[in-house]
Amino acid sequence: MSAPERLALAVAERPRSLVHLMARKDKANALAAAIKTAFGLGLPPQGRWAAGREVDAIWIQPDGWLLESEPAAPGALCARVAVATEGLGAVVDQSSGRSVIRFAGAPARSVLATCGRLDLHPRAFGPGSAAMTRLAHVACGIRLVDAAPSFDLIVGSTYARWLIEELLEASARYGVRFEPAPKPNRSAMPDSGPP
Amino acid sequence: MSGHRLPRGGFIDRSRRLAFRFDGKVLEGHPGDTLASALIANGVTLVGRSFKYHRPRGILTAGPEEPNALVELGEEGRTEPNTKATEVELFDGLVARSQNRWPSLAFDLGAVNGLAGKMISAGFYYKTFMWPAAFWEKVYEPLIRRAAGLGRATYAPDPDVYEAMNDHCDVLVVGGGPAGFATARAAGSAGARVILCERESLLGGGLLLDPALEGWRSDMIAALEAIPEVTILKRTNVFGYYDHNCLGAVEKLSDGPLGEGEIRQRYHVIRPKQVVLATGATERLIAFPDNDRPGVMMAGAALVYLRRFGVAPGRRAVVFTNNDSAYAAARALKDAGLERVAVVDARGKGQEAGGLDVRLACEVMGFDGRRVALHRRGGGGNAEAIEADLLCVSGGWNPNVDLASQSGAKTAWGAELACPIPGVPVQAERSAGAARGVFGIGAAARDGLAAGREAARLAGFPTDADFPLPKDDPPALALVPLWEVRGRGKSFVDLQHDVTTDDIRLAHREGFSHIEHAKRYTTHNMATDQGKIGGLVGAAILAEARGERPEAVGLPTFRPYTAPVAFGAFAGRATGDRFEPIRRTALHDWHVGHDAVMQRAGAWMRPFYYPKAGEDAWTAILREARMVRSGVGVCDVSTLGKIDLQGPDAVVFLDRLYANTMSTLPVGRARYGLMLREDGIVFDDGTVTRLGPEHFLVTTTTGEAEAVLEHMEFHAQTVWPELDLQFCSVTDEWAQMSVAGPRSRDTLTKAVAGLALSNASFPFVAAGEGTIGEVPVRLFRISFSGELAYEVAAPSGFAEQIWEAILRAGREFGIAPYGLEAMDVLRIEKGHPAGQELGGFTTAADLGLGRLVKKSGDFVGRILAGRPALIDPRRPRLTGIRPVDKAQRLRGGAHLVAEPGSLDSLGHVTSVTRSVELEQWIGLALLEEAESWRDKRVWAVSPLHEERVEVVVTSPCFVDPENARVRA
Repeated sequence: MSAPERLALAVAERPRSLVHLMARKDKANALAAAIKTAFGLGLPPQGRWAAGREVDAIWIQPDGWLLESEPAAPGALCARVAVATEGLGAVVDQSSGRSVIRFAGAPARSVLATCGRLDLHPRAFGPGSAAMTRLAHVACGIRLVDAAPSFDLIVGSTYARWLIEELLEASARYGVRFEPAPKPNRSAMPDSGPP
Repeated sequence: MSGHRLPRGGFIDRSRRLAFRFDGKVLEGHPGDTLASALIANGVTLVGRSFKYHRPRGILTAGPEEPNALVELGEEGRTEPNTKATEVELFDGLVARSQNRWPSLAFDLGAVNGLAGKMISAGFYYKTFMWPAAFWEKVYEPLIRRAAGLGRATYAPDPDVYEAMNDHCDVLVVGGGPAGFATARAAGSAGARVILCERESLLGGGLLLDPALEGWRSDMIAALEAIPEVTILKRTNVFGYYDHNCLGAVEKLSDGPLGEGEIRQRYHVIRPKQVVLATGATERLIAFPDNDRPGVMMAGAALVYLRRFGVAPGRRAVVFTNNDSAYAAARALKDAGLERVAVVDARGKGQEAGGLDVRLACEVMGFDGRRVALHRRGGGGNAEAIEADLLCVSGGWNPNVDLASQSGAKTAWGAELACPIPGVPVQAERSAGAARGVFGIGAAARDGLAAGREAARLAGFPTDADFPLPKDDPPALALVPLWEVRGRGKSFVDLQHDVTTDDIRLAHREGFSHIEHAKRYTTHNMATDQGKIGGLVGAAILAEARGERPEAVGLPTFRPYTAPVAFGAFAGRATGDRFEPIRRTALHDWHVGHDAVMQRAGAWMRPFYYPKAGEDAWTAILREARMVRSGVGVCDVSTLGKIDLQGPDAVVFLDRLYANTMSTLPVGRARYGLMLREDGIVFDDGTVTRLGPEHFLVTTTTGEAEAVLEHMEFHAQTVWPELDLQFCSVTDEWAQMSVAGPRSRDTLTKAVAGLALSNASFPFVAAGEGTIGEVPVRLFRISFSGELAYEVAAPSGFAEQIWEAILRAGREFGIAPYGLEAMDVLRIEKGHPAGQELGGFTTAADLGLGRLVKKSGDFVGRILAGRPALIDPRRPRLTGIRPVDKAQRLRGGAHLVAEPGSLDSLGHVTSVTRSVELEQWIGLALLEEAESWRDKRVWAVSPLHEERVEVVVTSPCFVDPENARVRA
């Protein structure tokens, strides 16, 4: 077995497009219907997330969700959601505001127990579970992605490095691999020559 | 020197030897030993000196109740004082020192206190060292502390790694003896998630003391280990029981040397649905003269040393008891081959003797280490002396009710046991086995099985689980309460704090008759062993003095911690740089890569200035500030709080939150906003930008960003829930850059596409959207510096590209980044209030912002802002100051006075800096009657620094008072 395969845990940055969606007062049902029509996705109840074909929805507050997709052009997902939900909800781009960190491996639950106080036992936090909590002293969303187990940790982007460092330190004795996000595509930037 | 290792028996590995040092002497033990068992095996009888009288003391117990054998472990940063030798697992290379002796353990000068013991009674310190009062702090206390005191804490940092973690389960079982085993197995086999915490390194509790039970012990361990949802934590003491069924525990992973990445201790916060306390019982002392001599040992402890460690604590033993339990120790001593074992039973009738020398209806009245003096109870008959080097004592067993009591359940009185037992639970807990007075292995196991079934049922796992249990013991004879054998000499009730029965009686005579008063007057129960062995004895003696029964007196409140806990365990990994979260803007790496001097500002790491080669701090800061005043600079202001606010009622919400009007703000414009607290004091300032008819961007100061969001949540959720609005923090979504200076428009005109920036189309306080490259950006024409300035906001994932694009565009105008310090120079010159002025004590009028406050319509803070004290015209107002002598500097915090020697402060200096505009120090200050002092002179004095500077009172705005530049 080569060295990296012996590492029990992996911490990976996952660039995503993220949209914070909040229902207008008394419009949650209409908003859910609009999202269902546009994305074929049911907005999940408290404590849950739901997978769609191209967009996942994660419950993050009463009548509020985070929509997540593969990275797209700046503002693209936000604009699509805004069109689909006009008059029914507030739509805020968080693609740069939140970082998604994938934390995976057999001892992941033990490590997360040193960072936060949520019960992540499979009986308490099974498939489809999502929660807002605190990890390493910072506000954080968490969802169980698969039974590896893999967790997605969703944290304010200015806290991302802090949380990653905490995870790496807490994971060190199990062996951990870190996969940074690929550098953003700079070719989108014209005017990169000398002025 | 009579303790010795037995040829066989015990849970130790005789094939391996461990070397350790005690007071410099090298000794040997075996794996499985504690420091205490190894010391006894080496014949060490003297392990410490007592707290007050410096009396010689030996090992009394085999557990956390040990009052005497306190040692200092380790060296330098790993020094751990006040460690109980009975709790330390031996390892090769262990270094331990006895405490509280000077100059050495065997020859202790402080022992003279013992000769003067009649003088040093309870309350002695309070009575004697009272006068003169000034002497207490400087003379008496240091002397007393050196003479008394326990071990020494270290000043060196702890080099070890600790960890804190959170645990959840259906059933928490505290204690891994027969009751805990049965509880855990019953609940575990029902499918419940179970955590079993055992304080010791070996599971089994009382099962370890009877070889006949070894089969059941190992079967139970195997059964528990086979259940996947049962977690066994050994060496884990549950130290506290808190509200909401939350308990704290510390797992001691290693006392010895650690390997790379290994953890010393782990702190567990456990949140179980149900708790079963199977914490066992602790044997209690009997007070008699000289009951603290080396050679006195609790009878149960003697049994532990014999059976668990294969160590005999003496050669000739007397066992003094008032109950049946000590007979097991007596028999074990005899089986171990001691020369003589005599039982002194205070009762008229004892257990079947079985070849033991039993003296019924007798009591021990003294011990000098060689002979035990006894006489018949009631005083009839002649006194007798039995030669013995070991005196085992048993006054009965107290259920360990600490945790049950901490949980809020008031203790009840167990009449048969003559001690407190757990009361009616108030949280989701129950006690089982000896912890609730059910003694005997078989009975305790049966009780544990029942408790486990019940706890599992309540946690949602009904079960009729059953498995073989040990047989019940034959019924025991009743205990006869015996608290004290009165005689000449000191009879101790608290060995660690040297509290005697006479001290308790003295406390009563002097009026400290309540148990809580007597405790504090005598310090009884206040040592690290918390009175585990003698607490009840002292209470009973107080009861006798009061002419009452012990249950009428009760015990002092049980509080966490059941045993001392290292601070390192609580901290876990949160030490040093990892003490609290660090926030980094999207431009952090750029700043670091360009040699910025980074500093923490709250949670944030921020660039303070960007020194060029050879520049000192002020040179760099002033260069950056001049650059903004004369050309253009760019500053990372991403840390500003940003809140996206939307909804039909958003505008109503803003009008109610801000002291100034927001509803008149047109789309595409920004406005300065002032928020008050409910009490009328200024809370925060920032800007509001109307992005669309029902869409706003609110900015806050860096420091109050979270507080403002919380303030908004509070009002939206509870005060005006009828409003339809939605908001969330976008602080991290947008990187924000201030582009400031006369050439800022030229710079951004080059960089930004899709937005015309001429003064006519994009005037002061305009806001709009454009692109830099293909990245959408927002522009706000606002200024903190007093210069023509813009703030550019970009999605933070593109921050570096945008920042560099701005630098490229501004290169021909001499652009460079400026840091937080230059920003502060600029805002003080402009007279903008910031953290030092918005410190939670100023009103809008104090800051010169009174004209902003709307005259009609309600808003948060309006009513209380009208309180007489807040509208008093004499309140200090924001003003500017500058030294008369241009060469003099100013100091923040200095007081303003009319004359240099005056003691009447007129106000104080809030912010100071070196002005690039005036080429001298300037400051902002809060000054009474500020208007009448304008252009006059006052003195800025700092008596702490013996400084006095004559200053001219000016407008707080030192730069462009007509605001022409920002509108240029």
